[in-house]
Amino acid sequence: MDGVLQVVSPNRSSPRNPTFAITAAAASEQPCKQVLLRVDSISKRYADQTILSDVAFDVQAGEILGIIGPNGAGKTTLLEAVAGMLPIEKGDVRWHGKPLPPPRRREAIFYLPDGVRPYQEQPVARVLTFFAEVYRRSTNEVQDAVGSVGLTPVLHKRVHALSKGYSRRLLLTLGLLTPHPLLFMDEPFDGFDLRQTREIVSVLRRKAVQGRTFVLAIHQLSDAERVCDRFVLLAEGCARGVGTLNELRARTGIAGGSLEDIFLALT
Amino acid sequence: MLSPETSRVQNAPLRPLFVKELWEILSGRALWTMLLLMCPLVGYSFFQAASLYGEASVAGLQSPVLASSLSPLDGILVPTFGAFYVAITLLFPFVAIRVLGQEKESGALRLLVQLPYRSPTLIAAKLAAVLAAWALSSMPALSALVVWEVLGGHLSAPETLNLLLGHLLYGLLVGAIALFAASVAESAATAAIVTLAFTIGSWVLDFTAAGQPGLLAWVSSLSLTQMLHTFEQGLLSARLVAGICAGVLGFAALGAVWLPPGIQTRDKVIRSVVCLVAAMLALGLASQVKLTFDVTEDRRNSFPPADQRLLASLSQPLVVTVHLAPEDPRYADLQRNVLAKLERSMPNVSIRLADGRQRSSSSADEDHYGEVEYNYAGRSDVSRSTSPREILPILYGLARVSRPAPAPGRDYPGYPLVTGSPVALLWFFFGLPLCIALAWWWSRRLPKPIAARSRRRFNHEHD
Repeated sequence: MDGVLQVVSPNRSSPRNPTFAITAAAASEQPCKQVLLRVDSISKRYADQTILSDVAFDVQAGEILGIIGPNGAGKTTLLEAVAGMLPIEKGDVRWHGKPLPPPRRREAIFYLPDGVRPYQEQPVARVLTFFAEVYRRSTNEVQDAVGSVGLTPVLHKRVHALSKGYSRRLLLTLGLLTPHPLLFMDEPFDGFDLRQTREIVSVLRRKAVQGRTFVLAIHQLSDAERVCDRFVLLAEGCARGVGTLNELRARTGIAGGSLEDIFLALT
Repeated sequence: MLSPETSRVQNAPLRPLFVKELWEILSGRALWTMLLLMCPLVGYSFFQAASLYGEASVAGLQSPVLASSLSPLDGILVPTFGAFYVAITLLFPFVAIRVLGQEKESGALRLLVQLPYRSPTLIAAKLAAVLAAWALSSMPALSALVVWEVLGGHLSAPETLNLLLGHLLYGLLVGAIALFAASVAESAATAAIVTLAFTIGSWVLDFTAAGQPGLLAWVSSLSLTQMLHTFEQGLLSARLVAGICAGVLGFAALGAVWLPPGIQTRDKVIRSVVCLVAAMLALGLASQVKLTFDVTEDRRNSFPPADQRLLASLSQPLVVTVHLAPEDPRYADLQRNVLAKLERSMPNVSIRLADGRQRSSSSADEDHYGEVEYNYAGRSDVSRSTSPREILPILYGLARVSRPAPAPGRDYPGYPLVTGSPVALLWFFFGLPLCIALAWWWSRRLPKPIAARSRRRFNHEHD
């Protein structure tokens, strides 16, 4: 069962690595892409409390979309609702323009929740092998995923013994092993320092260039600005702004403003 | 429709899922702790049973009549597996709940439900893991059987396998209930309470409702522990097996309904009702199956073969009216010695219990109390006996057939064995726990090639 993982080439990339030349800003200047997923009027209530109110946005193929907002804004609820993990009162999700009912969303979307340490008693390698065998991933594909996120040093460790950062890397590797065109990640940089965040950003960038699409829920505006092509600014369950940084700047009239300035202006 | 890799998302091999479930259950402390606790529990029960059996065998060795009453099924198997049953009732739910509860608490379930498996497949894989855990849990009891054989004891394969089947079905039922509870409950602790409510609730039903008339009798028949009694008597009942299987499938289906997130509670409740109705229908169908086999070596649950054959040929309805209270010991005798055997051997038997409170009514009714009336082919006769030696001739008389000549055959000899060696205790208190501890250690080992390769590469990178 553990035979899939044999020799892993670690990714020695650093902030000085040329792969970092592909930046969010450059990606955002790309021509208009095909709409992969359309989310329309998603609403969610818990008892008498409204968590999401008519949230709507598009996800374009090959982009990194950031769901941005403070804690309690409804980011996780939105991701889970769109991924079909949470029942909703109202809303519509379309895939390439066709309705995508909740039971079929797992065919298009894979959702990596926040704070999950799966199969804590198992060695990391065994967890990866499980996912690799489920999705019939080749040894090379597994090695590539493991190497790209720098998980090699902890393959032999049990999941419960991993640091928060490596735990995140494990989840990201599992996500990379899935064949879904769209990957939802909740707080993917939580637990990473600046250097590690940059490493992971470069991994996501490379995968996006290869055609994978990412939707990231992030509460750190600086991280989001560095990573994402477009943004959905969420506050109190409402989407206050959707677009690229330049589009949001134009909308708020803050020329050269940071994402933080724009967020404060819109919320 | 979705992506070029849709096939990978929709179809996945089952093997990795089963392997993962096995690793998960082997990695937990619950299974191994239960196994270690079972060793002295089962071992001491076996030792006590063997000692008592040995004491009874001393007289049995002097008298063939006494020896014929010595059956290892009653003397050794039932008490030994009785301890196993206690452990399965009280401890096994925690092991079974862990199969799902652990993933629920760690959040891994949210990844699992996104994998390309349907909820019933996920539950089936978990039930298979529960089955594997039960098989491991049965090791102390099975090793007791080996010890019994080594000591020179006799085991009848059909009796032993039938009893094992009964315990297997009971374990599966407890496992299915535990999976359902873990699927519904938010925490493992709540799931444990729900499951124990079923298993320990069955004991309460046994104590309070068993032997009571009317509705209470029906309620007591729902007890999980009642089902084991049939297997312990050496009976293999197709009705019971089908009923338990329907129960296992019903609880597994309910578990599959409540497993996936993203579905409104209202929809889950509707689906649960559909599952319950289907399970009830299956139970109703199972109750119509009348096939029962007496697998005991001494044929204690059957009339002699010649009588069995003749009774099977009596095709008209036999109506038996019993003027006894259900709690009357004579009724229990009659039921065990005659009525149950008649139901298994004749194609059409109806048993009617006259009002058990007749004793307190008129004196005429009091006169009839204790009578059993047999009606066959428009003729009737009355007897107060509970012995087949007196009742069978009455039935043959009603059917106008002559009593068959007894078929030649070997009488059950009985299997006396004077034993009770305390050496057996050493196995259960030291040998077996040591083996289990070693197996636990083995299951906790890291996969060697990966560990070695990873360390080599790690060292190489940092040189």
